[in-house]
Formats: sequence, structure tokens, C-alpha cells
Amino acid sequence: MSTDLDILKDVSTEEYKYGFTTDIEMEIAPVGLNEDIVRYISQKKNEPEWMLEYRLKALRHFLKLEMPTWQNFELPPIDFQAISYYAAPKKQVKLNSLDEVDPELLATFEKLGIPLSEQKLLSGVAVDAVFDSVSVATTFKEKLKEVGVIFCSFSDAVREHPELVQKYLGSVVPYTDNIFSALNAAVVSDGSFVYIPKGVRCPMELSTYFRINAQNTGQFERTLIIADEGSYVSYLEGCTAPMRDENQLHAAVVELIAMENAEIKYSTVQNWYPGDKDGKGGIYNFVTKRGICKGDNSKISWTQVETGSSITWKYPSVILKGDNSTGEFYSVALTKNKQIADTGTKMYHIGKNTRSRIISKGISAGEGQNSYRGLVQIGNSAENARNFTQCDSLLIGDQCGAHTFPYIESKNNSSMIEHEATTSKIGEDQIFYLNQRGIDTEKAVALIVNGYAKEVLNQLPMEFAVEAQKLLAISLEGSVG
Amino acid sequence: MLSIKNLKASVDDKEILKGLDLEVKAGEVHAIMGPNGSGKSTLASVLAGKDNYEVTGGQVTFDGKDLMDMSPEDRARAGLFLAFQYPVEIPGVSNINFLKTAMNEVRAYNNLPPIEAKEFLRMMKEKQKLVEFDSALANRSLNEGFSGGEKKRNEIFQLAMLEPKLSILDETDSGLDIDALRIVSRGVNKLRSGKNAFILITHYQRLLEYIVPDYVHVLYNGQIVKSGTKELALELEEKGYDWLKESAPAASFH
Amino acid sequence: MENTATQIINSLYDQCIADFEVRSNTAEPEALTALRQKGFQNFKKAGFPSNKVEDWKYVNLTPFLKESFATATEEELVEVPESVIKNAAIPHLDVWTIVLVNGVFRKDLSDTVNQEGVFVLPILEAASRPAFQKHFGTYTDLAKNHFAAVNTALFRDGLFIEIKNNAIVEKPIHVLHINTANEPLFLQPRSLYVVGVSANGSIIESFVNAGANANVFVNNVAEIFVAENANLHHYYIQAGSEKNRYVHHTEVYQQQNSVYNNYKASFPGTSLLRNNLNIALDGENVESHLYGLYLSGGHQLVDNHTIVDHRKPHCQSNELYKGVMKDESTGVFNGKIFVRKDAQKTNAFQQNNNLMLGRKAVVDSKPQLEIFADDVKCSHGSTVGQFNADALFYLKSRGIGEEKARALLVHAFAFDVTEKIPLAEVQDHINHLIEEGLKA
Repeated sequence: MSTDLDILKDVSTEEYKYGFTTDIEMEIAPVGLNEDIVRYISQKKNEPEWMLEYRLKALRHFLKLEMPTWQNFELPPIDFQAISYYAAPKKQVKLNSLDEVDPELLATFEKLGIPLSEQKLLSGVAVDAVFDSVSVATTFKEKLKEVGVIFCSFSDAVREHPELVQKYLGSVVPYTDNIFSALNAAVVSDGSFVYIPKGVRCPMELSTYFRINAQNTGQFERTLIIADEGSYVSYLEGCTAPMRDENQLHAAVVELIAMENAEIKYSTVQNWYPGDKDGKGGIYNFVTKRGICKGDNSKISWTQVETGSSITWKYPSVILKGDNSTGEFYSVALTKNKQIADTGTKMYHIGKNTRSRIISKGISAGEGQNSYRGLVQIGNSAENARNFTQCDSLLIGDQCGAHTFPYIESKNNSSMIEHEATTSKIGEDQIFYLNQRGIDTEKAVALIVNGYAKEVLNQLPMEFAVEAQKLLAISLEGSVG
Repeated sequence: MLSIKNLKASVDDKEILKGLDLEVKAGEVHAIMGPNGSGKSTLASVLAGKDNYEVTGGQVTFDGKDLMDMSPEDRARAGLFLAFQYPVEIPGVSNINFLKTAMNEVRAYNNLPPIEAKEFLRMMKEKQKLVEFDSALANRSLNEGFSGGEKKRNEIFQLAMLEPKLSILDETDSGLDIDALRIVSRGVNKLRSGKNAFILITHYQRLLEYIVPDYVHVLYNGQIVKSGTKELALELEEKGYDWLKESAPAASFH
Repeated sequence: MENTATQIINSLYDQCIADFEVRSNTAEPEALTALRQKGFQNFKKAGFPSNKVEDWKYVNLTPFLKESFATATEEELVEVPESVIKNAAIPHLDVWTIVLVNGVFRKDLSDTVNQEGVFVLPILEAASRPAFQKHFGTYTDLAKNHFAAVNTALFRDGLFIEIKNNAIVEKPIHVLHINTANEPLFLQPRSLYVVGVSANGSIIESFVNAGANANVFVNNVAEIFVAENANLHHYYIQAGSEKNRYVHHTEVYQQQNSVYNNYKASFPGTSLLRNNLNIALDGENVESHLYGLYLSGGHQLVDNHTIVDHRKPHCQSNELYKGVMKDESTGVFNGKIFVRKDAQKTNAFQQNNNLMLGRKAVVDSKPQLEIFADDVKCSHGSTVGQFNADALFYLKSRGIGEEKARALLVHAFAFDVTEKIPLAEVQDHINHLIEEGLKA
């Protein structure tokens, strides 16, 4: 009979499913980061002058900054001059129809489970597919146009909707926010742009799929979502990368703006290459995500399932400016082998009667380290603000770690804040009970973990909840049997 | 079906089972009684393969296979079912999802295809009725917030669904009120057949009025010291266990 | 100086550096001189922390340190009115009273502890004792604790208590820390308490002000060693005037099967109160309980920092801190639980509850868990809120006036902490101080 310990030691050889590379002719910028490179990217993207100016300002700021030191994990030094900041498939024409997309790319996304050809499209889901530094296809664009929804690549938006982009770009995450937001603003590759007009309930799920393929590059996408008064949108992003021995940097910025009575639901299923079992390779996922509930009664909800990346470092946040606005953060972060996740949220309560809810479920296996870091800040104007936070950590094996760093700051005495956190081991009794019903330990752990994460998984759009469950189970395979 | 020979087992280096023998054939119901600490629950746990019990001697075969060589899940798949004395709660895992997973694991082991959704639902309905298990409970998380009686009924409901060859009921009757006991017993009685067998582990003769055993064994100090028919249970109820002292070899009373 | 962003540059820093450099400690044992040197080097490098240092995020020390302080008192004994000592006494409680004025152990004002196996001495008089040599400066990390570093370099006065193996201290030792000054004063008292194997005792520390005319900044460092199977109840009762600023650093080291209970109560008064309480559970089956009650008023800033460091298996820690913030005061809680890799079967619990009474009060709460072992049960919680409106209404509807009703509810809120205090007289005393504090 195998004991728990044996099972834990028995590290499976299950490999990262999406680790293949696409062999396609690429145009890659020379390595290094300087004004010429920034001009090169801007020119490649055929950008107006103001965008180039924005990039250059950000670059100059970036060059003055140093890497942060407050994190509780060891951050290997990153040589920003050794990365190429632009990589795009060569055959890049302005695409009017999906038929013009390079078949190699279509095949790549097909393999990733993201069919882009019209007949195979997921019903009810529009997809923007981003390959290294460029968007290769956006589906259902026309259909969305009928109701006034703009869903396009960020690069297209800069050219086609400059008034909107100029107004909102950097309004929630200024390039001065942190070193990675400065870097991102300087070298923005691509990303998605969404505008939902007043009173429109977006008729389908919007989704962007990010794929890093090229070697020695990073991905620096920018996503900007504006939900005008009384509108609703649900947006989902997914991501994968090939298995490579060196670390690759992903430094994205996401900005959400919800006007009066608007609601934005933003879901992430993050499955970047996590590195191998010895911690070699993998993506550094350093992302700044922030939304602002600008208008009264607005709502922003972040849901994330984080299973990939060698280091994940991000805090999707909400500025609750409008009265009665609501911010939510639901997170499942799973680390195994030598993965590190330092994630959480910041809720800034400014408006009256603002509400926030934080549910964070960390799962650490192998030698994985998982930290919840969060801030709940109640300003003195935030009458009757309310927060509830629950963050739980589950430990699988005795080599991993779970850490909780909440910051609670209140300057208004009518506020009510409740924070709870627990850390415990996966129940041996529970595993045995399931074993006794014929379920092997690996499946038992997957079942228990899915149950544990259910409150978060339930927040995902239905089409993706099942995928996320499977992803959790697959991600656990390497660590429990 | 089950053959236990000179089974010895210990927990934390303390020997609990000290050479236990038992033969169970298809179609039989065996009751094992005994005072606290005699090793009843240890026997159940050892048979199911719980890992903090160390088997130090003897042999157990189940349908001719060496049971002690099998993982807990393979024992279950091979048809051994333990109705736990204290069923655990697993928040977030729905009863239905759990049962379906378990059934398909057992079926896969027996080279059967996964059960069809329709058939599964039909079966659920039928078996729920058998133990008067509220379908609202079936939709909830596994045992979470269930009363003691509800948990025990869920155990029998699972037993009905999984159709094991050998079922071990570990103190299934303890803590049950008389109505719940009737329901559980009726369920078990309906599931009895010439192909399966039951081991009832209990403290009380009361259960045996509802589930009539073919054999009654008295476990004492890690060994079976007396075996008989259901009349033995009545005798135990009347006289207690003290009169068996003499028959306990090497017994030491505290 | 190393980093101008993380430290405060002021004249006190220069003064401390100068003090050390002109000072000779020739009369002291070599080990102590070396330790002072180490403290000095650390302080010289780190200085006083700015709020860029994470542990000082919520405290801006600059206004509290900017005066030109005297760093040493006159040698002559300071006069203290008898009423100050009397008022600080705990009614009906039979104790040995030990009085320290501006850190100086005052035999003339103190009781003589005449129990075998119990030693109470001025700290430097103990320097040649084996217990001092073994434990002094052993447990405090001078690189991480700016104030402990400068204290180690410069302390002159303070208290040494030793409870020998198997000694059961007959009655509590009540240590009265009184400060007073006519010109701004920076004090650095130092204590070491050594509790031997299977020994038992209670130490109550009260901090009061004797009508100082000038600001007094007290940088107090205490180290406590609790040996195998020993048991120590340790109380801090913090009063003081707005002329006072306190930084307490308490470092506790526990060996197997020992129990250390810390009860901390602070009341409106001192403008700045910073408590660092660090406990190392470095043996199996250790138990530590930390109970804190802080009632703040005016513009007071109260900051409680605790570290509970589980290093060995089968230990248990329980922490409950409750804050009541009146007026425009700020209450900070920063609790950290470490569970090291070897500390399997740890049970660690941490809770911080805050009652915000003042419209302009501020609460900052940072409960933290850092866990590196898997077979553990750890939890923490933090709440911020105000009176339950229904409860208040219920009391009022029974004829209880607003003020009285609020006082009742504050007592009820504090009860979870006060009920844990094993000495009924201390309980009563603290309840009385809560009432006074609410009126203030």
C-alpha cells in the first residue's frame, strides 16, 4: 500500500500540454531596449505620433526605475537589454477575412483548442488571438459591430479609435505606476480593445487568447476595456507558451473602466509554461491589472485561475470611486514544483456604500510557494463601505509554503471589514474515504481541490468553468501521483 | 469470499489484532461484537487498507487475491465496501459527482464502460428510495452539514449504488434513532443476496433484531473468542462480556 | 549612512553615534563590549527607520525624534512624588514592587524580594552572573531591529530578574517604570528576565509618567528566557502622558514544555506607543498566549507588532488583540506567524478586532501567516467595525444612557481579552482603566 509520502515523491513525468512551438517565419526586433527600438515597434505598428510620444515618455521613466525588493521570493535578475521586444509572423497583411490568416497559425490555435475558422467557432464567444507581438485574428467583429460593440486588437484601436484610446490609456494604470507598467507602456506589443456603448449588454463572451511562441522575446500586451453607462460585458483571457529552458517575460497591463450602472466581468485562465520540475524555464508573469468603478452602481469582477508561469506576480485591483459600486476578486492559484505565485488584490474604497468581496484559494504542492497579498483600503469619504475577505491555503506535501499578507486600512468608522484566512493540509481522512470508494489518490486530490476551489470556479463563464476544472486536475498530476 | 487467517495488526507499535481468524462466504451475514477497545474498528480499517495500521502477521484473501497487497482503491474496486463509523465531510465535492466518479472507477476496473447518464439517474432515483435518502441531500456537498443519521444513510445509499460483494458496516447503528435504524436496516436487508456478504460491526444487539445475522462472533482482546448464531448476541446482551473472560486466551483485564 | 530612503536623518542619530564613540565601557565584561559594538555597527548602518521600512510603514517617527534630546540623565536620583507610586499600584494585589525611575533601579523606593531562588538586580550589576552571560543579547536580531541595536550600544540602566530552576515566585513582581524630565530626554532602559527549568512566576510591568515637563522618548528593550517546563505570566500596563513616546521591544525565547503568556493593555496618553513582541517557540510542546487590548484616544498612535515564530513541532500559539480607537487616534496591528519547516503539528491562531469609535480614527491591520510546514492548523482573522446598532438600541430602550451603553459595549468587546487575565485584581484594575480611558 502506498503511503501519502510515497505518492508525493512519485513525481509524474506528465508534461506541459501546450509546450510545442510553431515553426513560422518571424520578424524579430534586435535585442535591447532603447528609443530606437521603441520607434521601431511604433513604426511597425504604423502608429500615430501621440502613441510614439507616450511610449517614449514611458521608456524614459522606466530607465530611471529599479526592481522592487519587497517580495518574499527570490527574483532572479532580469536583463532587460537581452530581450527582443517585438516578434511577429512575417506574412502579416491586414486581415479582412479569417481565410487570409496563415494556415500555420490557424493550426496552432486549433491545437490549443481555440479554433479560429468560422465554422468551428465556439458559439457565443468572440475571440481575439494574439501571437507574440501581434493580433492575428479577431472573430465576430462584424456581428458585434451591429450592436455598437468595438472588439479589436489594441493596435487596430490605436489607429481606428484614437479618441477613445487617448482618453483612457494609462488613466487607470499610469506608466508611472510601477516598473512593469512603465516597461509595458514603452513596448506595448498588442492586446485587445473593447468598448461597450451605453445600455448595451454585450451579446457574447469576449475572449483573447495569448500565445508566446518566439524565443528570447517577451509579451507586453495591453488590454483596455471600457463599459459605458448601463452596459455589461464578460471577457476572458487565456494564455500558453512553448516549453523553453530560459525564462521569458510577460508584462501586461489591463485597464478596465466601468461607467455608471455598468458591469465588467473579467476572467483569466492563466496557463503559461510553468518551467520544468527543477524550476528551469517558464514564464515570468508580472502583470498590472486594475479597474475603476467610475460611475455609481458600477461593478467590476475579477476571476482568475492561475496554474502556469514560473513566477506569477499580480494584483488585479478595483478603485471603487462611484457610490454603491462593487469590486470582486475570485482567485485560485496553484503552484507546484518550484513555481511561485504572489497574487491578490487591492480594493480602494472611495465612494459611499461601496462593497468589495475577496475570495482567494491558494494550493501549494511540491516545492511551490503561494502568497496572498492584498489591500483593503477605506478612504475617509467611503461611508458605510463593506469588505469581506476569505483566503484559504491548502498544502499538499511538506516542501511547499503558503503565505498570507493582507493589509487592512480604514479611515472611516462607518466601515465594516471582515478578513479570515486559514491554512491547512489536504485531509488524509478525505483522501482515504475517496480511496475506499475506489477513487485513486490522484483523482481524489483533484476532486478535493476542485471542491475547495469551487466558489471561485463557479464565477467563470460556463464555457470555461469545465476547462478550468480540468486544468486544475492536470496541473496537479505532476505533484501528487 | 473473505478469508482471514491469524491476522495481526498494530497501531503506533501497539498490537491491537492478535491473531484473528474469520471466514465469510457469499450470501452470509456475520456480526462482530465486542467491548470497547477489542479491535472491532481496527479490523474494519485494516480490511479497507487505512495506512496508519500496520499488518504484522497473518493472511487475508478476498476472492482468492491477497487483500493486503492491494491499494485501498483497488480493494474498493474489487468489491469491498466500508460503511464508515465517522464519514468525512468534503466541502465543495457534490455527492453526485463523487458517486459518478466512484462508480466509473469501479466499472473501469471491471472492464465496463462508464455508466450512461440516463442509467445513472435512474439508479440514483431507485436507490435513494431504498434508504429514503432525500434527493436534496444527494445534490449537496459530500456529507457536509449532514446530521449523523443522514451521513449513515448516505453510506448505505453509496453501498446500494456501488453494489459491492462484501460490505463492512462499522458501527453503522451507533447514534441512530430507531426510525433511522429501521430505514438503514431495511435498506441492507433488501440488498442482501446470495452473491454478496456483510460484516456488521456493532456494539449492540439491537441492530441484529433488524438485520438478522447468520453468525455472531465475539471479538475480544484482538481475537475472536467465541462464535455462534444470533442467539449468542442475545446471550451477550443479557450477560455482558464478562462471562467470556475465561475463554480469552492470554487476556488481561484492566 | 546606508540608505537615505529607509532612515531618518536627524541630530539624534548623530548624537547617538557620538555618544558611543566617546564612551568607554572598560568596566564591562568583554562579551558585553563586543555586543555593544555589534549593536552600534548595526545602528550606524540602519539609523532610525523611516516609513519606507515595511515594519514602520504606519509610523512616521520624524516628528517624535526631531527634538534635541538629552541621551543621559544626571547621576543624582530623581525625585518622584509618592502619589505617583501609589496611584500606579494595583488595588488589593499583594506584590513586590520594584521601582525604576528613568530606567534607574531605585532600591530606596522598591521592596526587597526575599525569596530564595529569586534575584532582582540593576541590569549591569548582573553582568557577571552566568544567567546574564548566557542569555543577554542572545535572542534579539540587531540587524533587523533598529531600536534594539541602539539600545544595545548605549543602555546603562534597567532590570535583571532571575528565577532559578524549580522556584515558584510567591507573589507577582510589579515593576513600575516611571519617567519624568524637565528637558527632552531619550531613555534606553534594558531588561533581562531568566526563568529557570520548571520555575513559575508573574511579572507585571506598569509604565507611568510623573508629570514630566518635557518630552520623554523611551526605547525599552526586554529579553525573556523561559526554560523547559517553566511558566511565566507577563503583563504590560501602559499609561503615560502625551509627553511620552515609547518603543518597547520584547524578545521571548521558549524551550520545550514551557508556557509564556503575555497580557498587554494600553490606554490613552502616550503620543506614540510602539510594541514589538517577538516570541520564538524553540522546543516541542511549547504554548504561547498573547492577549492585547489597546484603547487609544486623542491623536495617539498605537502600533502593536508581534512575531510568533514556530520552530519546533507540536506547539500551540494563540493571539488575540483587540483595539478601540477613539477620537483621531490610530491603531495598528501587525501580527506575523511563522511556521518553520520542522514545526509540524502546529496550531496557531491569530485574531485582531477593531472597534472604531472616533469619526476620524484610523485602523491599520496586517495579520500575516508564513507557513512552510504542511501538517498545521493555522488561521487568522481581522475585523474593523463599530458598535452593533441593535445592541446599542436595545440597551438604550432599557433606559441606559448613550454614554453608559457605549461603555458597556466597549467592556463587552474587551471582555474576550480581560477574561483571560488570571489575576482578578489585575482584571479589575484594567477594567477601571478602560472606564477612565473612555472618559478621557
